[in-house]
Amino acid sequence: MTGLMTRAAPHALTLCVIAFVMILAVLEPAFLSGSNLIGILRAVSLVGIMALGMTFVIMTGGIDLSVGPVSAIAGLVAYFALVAGHGLVAALLAGAGLGLLIGIANGLLVASLGLPAIIVTLGTLSIVRGSALLLGGPDLHGIRDQAAYSFIGSGAIYGIPVPVVIFLVLAAMAWLLQSRTPFGTLVAAVGDNERAAWLSGLNVTAIKAATYGLCGLLAAIAGMIQSSQVHTASATYGKFGTELDVIAAVVLGGTQLSGGAGSVARTLLGVLFLGLLNNGMNILNLSIDIQLIAKGAIIALALSLAARRTG
Amino acid sequence: MTAPLLEATGLGKSYGTLVALKPSDLRLNRGEVRALIGSNGAGKSTLIKCLTGAVTPSGGSVLLEGKPLPLGQPGAIIRSGVSCIYQHSNLAPMMSVMDNISMGRQPTRFGFVDRKTQRTQVQDLLARYGIDLDPDALVGTLPTVKQKEVEIAKALAQDAKVLLMDEPTGWLAVSDVRRLHETVRLLAAKGVGIIYISHMLDEIFAVCDSLTILRDGEVVTERAVDRISRTEVVAAMVGERLARESLAAADSGRKATGSGEVRLSVRGLGRRGVFRDISFDLHAGEILCITGLIGSKRTEMIHALFGSAPHDAGEVLLNGKRLVPRSPAWGMANGIGLVPEDRQHEGLMLGMPIRDNLVMTTLRRFHRFGVLRPRGIDRSVSSLIAALNVQPPRPAQLVGRLSGGNQQKVLIGKWLARDPSVLILDEPTVGVDVGAKAEIYALLRAARDRGMAVLVVSSDLEEVTTLADRIGVMNRGRLLSLRPAAGITRPELVAEIGADA
Amino acid sequence: MPSLSSRLTLPVFFLAVLAIFCLIAPNFASAGNFENLMAGYAFIGILAIGQSFPILLRGIDLSVGAILALVGMCIFDLSLMFGVPGWAILPLALLVGTLAGVVNGLMVTVLRLSPFIATLASLAAYRGLVYAISGRQLVPELSTKPITDRWITGFETYFDLTRVLGLKGVVKLPWVPLSFLILLGTLLVFHVLLAHTRFGRDLYAIGGNPEAARLAGIKVGRLTVAAYAISGLCAAIAAILLVARLTTSTEGLGEGIELTAIAAAVIGGFSLTGGTGRLLGSVIGTFLLGIVLIGLTQMGISPFVQQILTGLILLVAVGNDRLQTLRADRQRARALGEVPA
Repeated sequence: MTGLMTRAAPHALTLCVIAFVMILAVLEPAFLSGSNLIGILRAVSLVGIMALGMTFVIMTGGIDLSVGPVSAIAGLVAYFALVAGHGLVAALLAGAGLGLLIGIANGLLVASLGLPAIIVTLGTLSIVRGSALLLGGPDLHGIRDQAAYSFIGSGAIYGIPVPVVIFLVLAAMAWLLQSRTPFGTLVAAVGDNERAAWLSGLNVTAIKAATYGLCGLLAAIAGMIQSSQVHTASATYGKFGTELDVIAAVVLGGTQLSGGAGSVARTLLGVLFLGLLNNGMNILNLSIDIQLIAKGAIIALALSLAARRTG
Repeated sequence: MTAPLLEATGLGKSYGTLVALKPSDLRLNRGEVRALIGSNGAGKSTLIKCLTGAVTPSGGSVLLEGKPLPLGQPGAIIRSGVSCIYQHSNLAPMMSVMDNISMGRQPTRFGFVDRKTQRTQVQDLLARYGIDLDPDALVGTLPTVKQKEVEIAKALAQDAKVLLMDEPTGWLAVSDVRRLHETVRLLAAKGVGIIYISHMLDEIFAVCDSLTILRDGEVVTERAVDRISRTEVVAAMVGERLARESLAAADSGRKATGSGEVRLSVRGLGRRGVFRDISFDLHAGEILCITGLIGSKRTEMIHALFGSAPHDAGEVLLNGKRLVPRSPAWGMANGIGLVPEDRQHEGLMLGMPIRDNLVMTTLRRFHRFGVLRPRGIDRSVSSLIAALNVQPPRPAQLVGRLSGGNQQKVLIGKWLARDPSVLILDEPTVGVDVGAKAEIYALLRAARDRGMAVLVVSSDLEEVTTLADRIGVMNRGRLLSLRPAAGITRPELVAEIGADA
Repeated sequence: MPSLSSRLTLPVFFLAVLAIFCLIAPNFASAGNFENLMAGYAFIGILAIGQSFPILLRGIDLSVGAILALVGMCIFDLSLMFGVPGWAILPLALLVGTLAGVVNGLMVTVLRLSPFIATLASLAAYRGLVYAISGRQLVPELSTKPITDRWITGFETYFDLTRVLGLKGVVKLPWVPLSFLILLGTLLVFHVLLAHTRFGRDLYAIGGNPEAARLAGIKVGRLTVAAYAISGLCAAIAAILLVARLTTSTEGLGEGIELTAIAAAVIGGFSLTGGTGRLLGSVIGTFLLGIVLIGLTQMGISPFVQQILTGLILLVAVGNDRLQTLRADRQRARALGEVPA
């Protein structure tokens, strides 16, 4: 029995996802319809995009709590650039660039000054949210007559919503980056043993800064998609709790908060798991309260099992 | 003869088939300071761990004042009167001396900590043992020697009858060492039994009454300190396994100055308070071994060469060009490699597979336009695994699951893969079994024959005499001598290493 | 104990900031403003006191906002739906908060979850529980009905300090809200607990060196649960004060408040590496944040700048903490000629 458990443990999440799908398919045949499945992907695409970047940060043993406000400010900046008539490309670059810069600032504070990541990104969370509110006020800014921008969030390619397409493309890129380029190995090395990584000639500061930069960039992209999706930009988007969902997806995927080996592919599984959980609970018509409780309990249970596994 | 204070009988520990400590006996009387010595991997730390409860022995018993010690239960062992003062601090740095000393046992009145009684108790204790400490000082602000005294006082507050001291002077300045020795003698005079673990022969002859020498997991010598000479101690530690013939065999292949080409030249290298006046030339195609007791600052010196630790005097020339070592990345760019001493904390990514560890230093060779070429990596990794004879030869195996010897091979292989022009190794075979040792020597010799300049730091004399083309001896931060290995006699080496500098 | 100078840094800085705002911000130095400050930040101060305990043990409690809402909703339900008298509600409220904290502690010790993850999960679960038991949703017509029980609304009382001190006509002092006095009481009780009992000293020992504490026979697991329980208890006290002030409770009560509480504790000198800090610091940290935020509002500076400043203050606080540690290490090493480890 123990032997079986040990062998099955690495695949526990996969098995959970499969079991979930089967249970839901039996309970509610509509679950397996193409539109529902795409709906699930659409629902997780924003959290999923942010989880891609968060995976790298957590692999270094860090954390980024500031993704929510970063996504909000990126949407706002893109909106203002559009309104000012700078064109779509400039607007997107402005939003993405800002996210990247905030991320790099986080990374440098953590890596070169050696400050605790939780506190640093808690601080930038507050700073970025305040800046976003200063920039756009607490109101919603309607985005009108920007067909190209709206297409990003609301369009579809061959019936697949654009956010899903973007999510899948970014996921493929992140997966390549993590598993097929030196960067993925270096990030894992820094998280596994920072001193050994340094003694092996790795530039630990640069690697860490890059992971936070990537996380900020992806949060910004998610934020712009969101603002395009709902045709409004607001400083209040990406509200508190966003980062928790993102972190939960990564950690459920098996990347440990203490850093080291991690995998984008498994993070995607974690994202999918959360998406199925939410969708399934919606289908079963569970109220929001039960959903939150169940989510908390399931996350705690899954992680405690993981903790036992690694001893 | 009265009954001993502490008496261990047949204490042994084995992990599966690996015997870390053969059944051994150890006796300690009241007021006795007994040195426990042995080279790395001799079973010393296993013996200590058995006595502190960190490890449950596979056999044997320990009596304290005739009563059996609750083996394998650290907390219970401390409460029955055996405390250990570790190399690393076991104190809460932000708390006062007083609170650390009475940690977990402050006297209370009506539920509140009774400061007055606590202070009186602590001051009484300090006065009784002649320890001079300010009860209100914050532990984190004290010098290390004072922190050691706090630990001693804390142990005494827990009614310690036996104190284990694990290399207590590791980071202490000379005057502080003397101070600590006075405290130790005072404790002994008060009837405390002390087991003193140290690599420094000076210390042992200065402060201990008797000594127990361990080698290869068993006690080889037990004697009063005034009935044994330094040379005998070192000889007992090192063993006499190395026969004259094999020494001769090793001699035949030696090339005292390699190809004669000076690869790395060190001139007057120094770091204030750590080492000074280090000068030597390292030739292409030679293995230079630097030996000396632990604490002779060899590790700090080679890290300065590599760029991972600072130096503040002297210069380093590589192929005649002046280097200013700044960081490991920079040292590597100049063709220097360093295999650190502590493979678990400084060398390997234990949670990652053999494959990733082996390509860690050479990753940039294996990508095209930023994308890794897995086939190139696989080819390189399998040839490395074959060359190193790593067991099991599976690239996906996590390094943390390998045996010590195989971990060490991966660590060395990761650097050999770069084919550096200078390779520095710090204690390359600590905790490695005999078979793997021989394989590592062969790898290093092969690298030397290819023209690599190899610098090895080792306290294992057998290793030094087997491997070296030239031998240097460091003592207390200075390079005492540097000579061709051929013709050097072991007694000479032993005498130099143990010299009272 | 830390040196006097390092202990005085925070209070002196606090007084300096206070003085500056009194001088430059219009109407800042008014009695009404200080009343607002005391009433508006007392409950945050109590949360910061609670938060200090997990941080002292190298942990963190992200769920205090959710516990606050949970307790708030319990009070709402018990009072409005079930008509339970206030004197019976109060102990129940404290019990709910404490139990929520105990669950957090058990997740950390028994399930061996990292405190961050454990309280992240319980944050979601407790917030969900709030929605589940929300009287506002179960009985919609109650949602506009205020809580009128004197036992609860009585906590929103102000004392005229001028009259009590017999200084009427001499100076005009701010009226002191009861919530502020409760903050002082909470501070006193937990300060005594932390500084003058074995329990408190053991907590410092665990935070400073868990292994040493365990070897010294300290029950590390039990005390860890207690620390999270205290955090929950403080969240419950804060909830009572907040509900009294608002005369109602909402599902979103206290969302994001954990950040302010953590910030206040860190500014107050509780290092995330554990084993150090004093509760008075956490309270001063709370009011430092309060003064800056209220002061800036009164100077007509956008309230959004406040948020930016909260973040900056937090960064400066941890940066300073780190700098002090590094400097102390280096000085010690240099003075002793030792090699820093």
